[in-house]
Amino acid sequence: MKTEHSEASDILAPVRKMVQACIQCGTCTGSCPNAFAMDYTPRHLWRMVMMGLTDEIFNSLTFYLCSACYSCTLRCPRGLPLTEAMETLKQIAVKENRLVNKPSQLFYRNFMESVRRHGRVRETEFMTLYFMDMKHPFLPFRYMPLGLKLLRKGKLSFQLPSGGNTLDALFRKAVEAEEANP
Amino acid sequence: MDKNGRAMVVGAGIAGIRAALELAETGHKVLLIDKSPHIGGILSQLDYQFPSDHCGMCRMLPMIDRDDSSQYCLRKGLFHENIEILLSTEIISIDGEPGNFSITLRRKSDWVDSQRCIGCGICVSVCPVDVSDEFNEGLSYRKAIYLPVPHAVPSPYTIDAKACTRCGACEAICPTHAISMSSQERKQFRILVVDDEMIVRSSLMEILDTEGYSAEMAESGQKALEKLAQQPYQLMLTDIKMPGMDGVELLQKAKSLYPDLPVVMMTAYATVETAVEAMKIGALEYLIKPFDTEAIIDKVFKVYEKFELVHARKEEVGAVILTGGTAFFDPKQDKNTYYYGLLPNVMTSLEFERIFSGTGPTQGNLVRLSDGKPIRKIAWLQCVGSRDIQINADFCSSVCCMFSIKEARIVKEKSNGSIETVLFYMDMRTDGKSFQRYRDQAESLHGIRFERAKVHSIAPDADAGDLMLRYTDISGKLHEETADMVVLAVGQRPSSAAKLAESVGIGLNSWGFVQTSPFSPSKTNRPGIFIGGSFSGLKDISESVIQASAAAFNASKTIQRATCNVQRAKTDAPLLQKPPRILVAVCVCGNKNPLLRGAGVCQELVKEWMSDPAVIVAEFTDQICSEQGEKSLAELVGKHKPDQVLIAACLPYVYGKRRRELSQRIGIDPLLTEVVDISSLSDSEMIRCAVGMGIEKLRRMEDLPIETLPVKQKALVVGGGIAGMTAALGIADHGFEVDLVEQGEKLGGNLLWLNSSIEGYSMQTLLEETLPKVEKHPLIHVHTQTRVVSSYGQAGDFITTIESKETGVQTIGHGVSILAVGGTEAIPTAYGYGKSSNIVTQKELEEKLRNKTLDPLKLGTVVMIQCVGSREEPRNYCSRVCCPTSLKHALYLKEQNPDIDIYVLYRDMMSCGFAEAYYTQARKSGVIFIQYDPSNKPEVKISGNEVRVIADEPIIGKKIEIAADLLVLAAGIVPNLSNSLTHAFGVSSDQDGFFQEADSKWRPTDSMTEGIFACGLAHSPRSVSESVATAEAAAQRALRILTKNQLSAGRVTAKVHHSLCSLCERCIEACPYEARMIDPEEEKVMVNPARCQGCGSCATVCPNGASYIQGFSRQQMLAVIDAAFI
Repeated sequence: MKTEHSEASDILAPVRKMVQACIQCGTCTGSCPNAFAMDYTPRHLWRMVMMGLTDEIFNSLTFYLCSACYSCTLRCPRGLPLTEAMETLKQIAVKENRLVNKPSQLFYRNFMESVRRHGRVRETEFMTLYFMDMKHPFLPFRYMPLGLKLLRKGKLSFQLPSGGNTLDALFRKAVEAEEANP
Repeated sequence: MDKNGRAMVVGAGIAGIRAALELAETGHKVLLIDKSPHIGGILSQLDYQFPSDHCGMCRMLPMIDRDDSSQYCLRKGLFHENIEILLSTEIISIDGEPGNFSITLRRKSDWVDSQRCIGCGICVSVCPVDVSDEFNEGLSYRKAIYLPVPHAVPSPYTIDAKACTRCGACEAICPTHAISMSSQERKQFRILVVDDEMIVRSSLMEILDTEGYSAEMAESGQKALEKLAQQPYQLMLTDIKMPGMDGVELLQKAKSLYPDLPVVMMTAYATVETAVEAMKIGALEYLIKPFDTEAIIDKVFKVYEKFELVHARKEEVGAVILTGGTAFFDPKQDKNTYYYGLLPNVMTSLEFERIFSGTGPTQGNLVRLSDGKPIRKIAWLQCVGSRDIQINADFCSSVCCMFSIKEARIVKEKSNGSIETVLFYMDMRTDGKSFQRYRDQAESLHGIRFERAKVHSIAPDADAGDLMLRYTDISGKLHEETADMVVLAVGQRPSSAAKLAESVGIGLNSWGFVQTSPFSPSKTNRPGIFIGGSFSGLKDISESVIQASAAAFNASKTIQRATCNVQRAKTDAPLLQKPPRILVAVCVCGNKNPLLRGAGVCQELVKEWMSDPAVIVAEFTDQICSEQGEKSLAELVGKHKPDQVLIAACLPYVYGKRRRELSQRIGIDPLLTEVVDISSLSDSEMIRCAVGMGIEKLRRMEDLPIETLPVKQKALVVGGGIAGMTAALGIADHGFEVDLVEQGEKLGGNLLWLNSSIEGYSMQTLLEETLPKVEKHPLIHVHTQTRVVSSYGQAGDFITTIESKETGVQTIGHGVSILAVGGTEAIPTAYGYGKSSNIVTQKELEEKLRNKTLDPLKLGTVVMIQCVGSREEPRNYCSRVCCPTSLKHALYLKEQNPDIDIYVLYRDMMSCGFAEAYYTQARKSGVIFIQYDPSNKPEVKISGNEVRVIADEPIIGKKIEIAADLLVLAAGIVPNLSNSLTHAFGVSSDQDGFFQEADSKWRPTDSMTEGIFACGLAHSPRSVSESVATAEAAAQRALRILTKNQLSAGRVTAKVHHSLCSLCERCIEACPYEARMIDPEEEKVMVNPARCQGCGSCATVCPNGASYIQGFSRQQMLAVIDAAFI
């Protein structure tokens, strides 16, 4: 394998800048509560960023699985903005249309859709949107036990809030800003 | 002596002691001060030091003129003729200029009179206060009256003014009335409490009364002003919200009338802003109601302290050396992800040093303090408070790796290997001469586990007190591990004395450490003030000691310029040739010794001693150690005019100076005074024996002339690199002739090809500044293209033959030799070196960049491989400079051409100290660092002009292949110290060919042969500025000899009865100082009195009693032993 820092990897430039001072100590991986589920640990991912392994990075699940707990950012001895770097990778994936993880993407999209509509998440609506987008008839059944548990604890509300479209303007502005400043 | 011939050393830690001793040995008077009540600094807390895992500090004691100093454990005390020690003393200001500084000192008041205190410790037993003991890092408790360091002598009890409740119990019980509480002094401190509420006033009064202050109250502002008019007050506490005149108005009025009156505002939470405003118009502080008693006592004490510390003292000195030491990171600060202070078995390395110390809270037993459980497993976590940008510590503390390994090894030794030990590290920084082998042994021999991982947090384990560590290994696998104890290897921080340095105009660097001059690490921006030891940051003991010597050297240069010659006064009192007339004075030690209280016992003893014709008078006196006692002894001596004086008291080593003073007064030789220790004897029979032994020793004391050897006050420096030139210049500037011998055509050594230091300081400028100074110096004779053929002689008197093509063979007589032959880059034998023009060494790269034969703009990819041939047998040492050099080059190339891809393949990045910042910078600039293991080294493939480097990337777990336009090999340093040279000088080299120092920590630039020193790269791998420090240190060591026109041996040296000697040569083998040799012509064993330290090893191995120690003759010793049994 030859390391590459060619044009193709330039889309990683903003992330590389964030993690360049990394000394591979592994504090981030050790700290990460989700590392067990990731295909590459955070340290591994940063190393791939440094080496410009663009395809491998965007084919991995690692950055989707970051739950933004900030444990790594808190502890990194280099003071690197690691949570932000994960976030940036998600954004690049969207922008570059390199989303491989469809469920994650749909999850985020529908989550934000619900937020856009009501200014907060409505679990029932969000679930419905997500299941519909996934186009998977048996998927809801898989979530049944969790759903029942949430229901029992009164965490699910079937009522839609009144008002609606509360954050529409904000979302529009964000899109405009992004378009003006790609 | 001229007052300006004096120097002041500020801080009596190891560096301070060293600097003071260095100056004292060259005949300067030294004032050594420390703000703490003891000497020794941090080393008083550390029992074991790398690499011997013992102490060994005593090896710093003078070996020339050793009678000037008590040959006594340096950890316990320092006693030297020329050194005056002032403890509990701080500097207020330094005025003046080099050669003529005026320094204001203030000394904390002594409540315990050290002259009277006999160290009985009864005071401790009655003290009701318990406070945490800083000597044990807070792991145990002590009383308010205490010994700051338990092993120090003379044991000066000290009262912790802050903790003391002034109950007076100790004062009442002290048998020698040594304690006088400053209660009277506190009563003179008058406080006015102003508050409209009765309850507040009275409770405050009560608190202040208990603390011993005089407090008075006023219920309104008006009343307060009246009181202030009546008599002076030292402090006013005033409420803000009062009817009529409020606190702020009172403050204004009081301040306009009495501008010096400190005023503390008392306020409720609601009016804190008003209090802050009040501070702007002159209030000192504010207190928030409801009061916290501690806070009040604290604030009042701070004001009181200033009032109390009026014992200001002015001193005039020629130069100042600041050896303020270092402080340590407190892991409680900031995020504290290791829960230090919350989990009981997480401790700092300093605390752990106390755990395994015999004087520590567990008496050296490896048990947990929290539950007394024996320790089974200890984990060390490196880089706590170092190499952490989040807490502004972008530096490596340089010492933690080695002290952690040392601690782990001691644990292994103490527990016979039964305790499991593991070190978690990022890079194991073993950047000294013998460090790498020490580490390798720790792993292979002692079974210490080294885990390259950073533990991110510690959690309590299920088992009470145990700790759970979580980390990810190099392959990315997650681990959980439990340990009984976790030791945090805490990094260094600037010591509190840095503020002092700043206040006298010395610059600090961005981390708050003292900034020193480039290429001269003991100089500061203020001439005449020098820095020694770890005060300028991040140094281990041996570097601290080297730098302390360098600072002493520079101070001596300053003083030398101001005055001129330092002359020593030696009295040679006539020795005795007639029957002994002994005076016996027995100290009753404040009647502490119950045996001597009964008059009957005393009379009996006196009668018995007087029956000996040699004893002319025997008397009991009180407290010979006190001024009063000294006077009465002098009277006795004046009355009876004895020829010998025997003092039976305590602590003989403390009497060294006094004995000399006494002998001078009476006009006898100090050897004819003797002190026997009777302080610990428990019956009169034993006292009789001890005194009897002393009488026998004095009775048979022989005439011991001091042998002197003339000194050729000239130096030979071999090697004309920066180290040799610095040493030569230093000695010549002190007014002594120097012969500087250089093998090459030109002076300059490695400076001839080096561009700049990593900090960007130009080596060329350094060379250009130094060269003319050396070449034009009237006292330096430069011999280029010359080599040393042979050298023989001894300290003060060497004869060396040198040879050059031009002038042929020449013989030089000189008093000292300094070996500064330098070192050079090793020639790599791996990674295809020599097979392609694209593979170069770091040195070759530096040269190419210098003469611009390499254009960074034409480079696409550069690979650097570190540790080529280094840190593995046979060159198993770190060359210390290669990692910073690679960083320097990588940063330079990136700066010239940001598009170059640079890969650095390393084992452990040794960017120690402040070089760490450049490592961070290199990472930030996009240089890629790939760690490799020595068992799996990178491969280099060469085909035609193409060089490909294949290496395992451990994080990704794949092989990577890099096509390199340039491959740079960091080959390391090999010394130029050839066998013929070491043979010529009779010094030894270590297994890697570097100069073998007498002791790597305590005598780092000395050889085992007195008079021969080494510095620079021949000594050990080091940077240019570190080389300069060793050169200055070596020059200072040499000056100890050169400043004397004759060397006097100690009084107690070995001698040979040649008629009894069978020439078996056992004594020659036994002598640790190489002071003995066979004279082949005379067929006699000769003793070099200057080398002999009077240890007695030769006398004990001699089968015929031919070897003996002067002053310890056979007859004398047997008589002494007889006396002990009679």
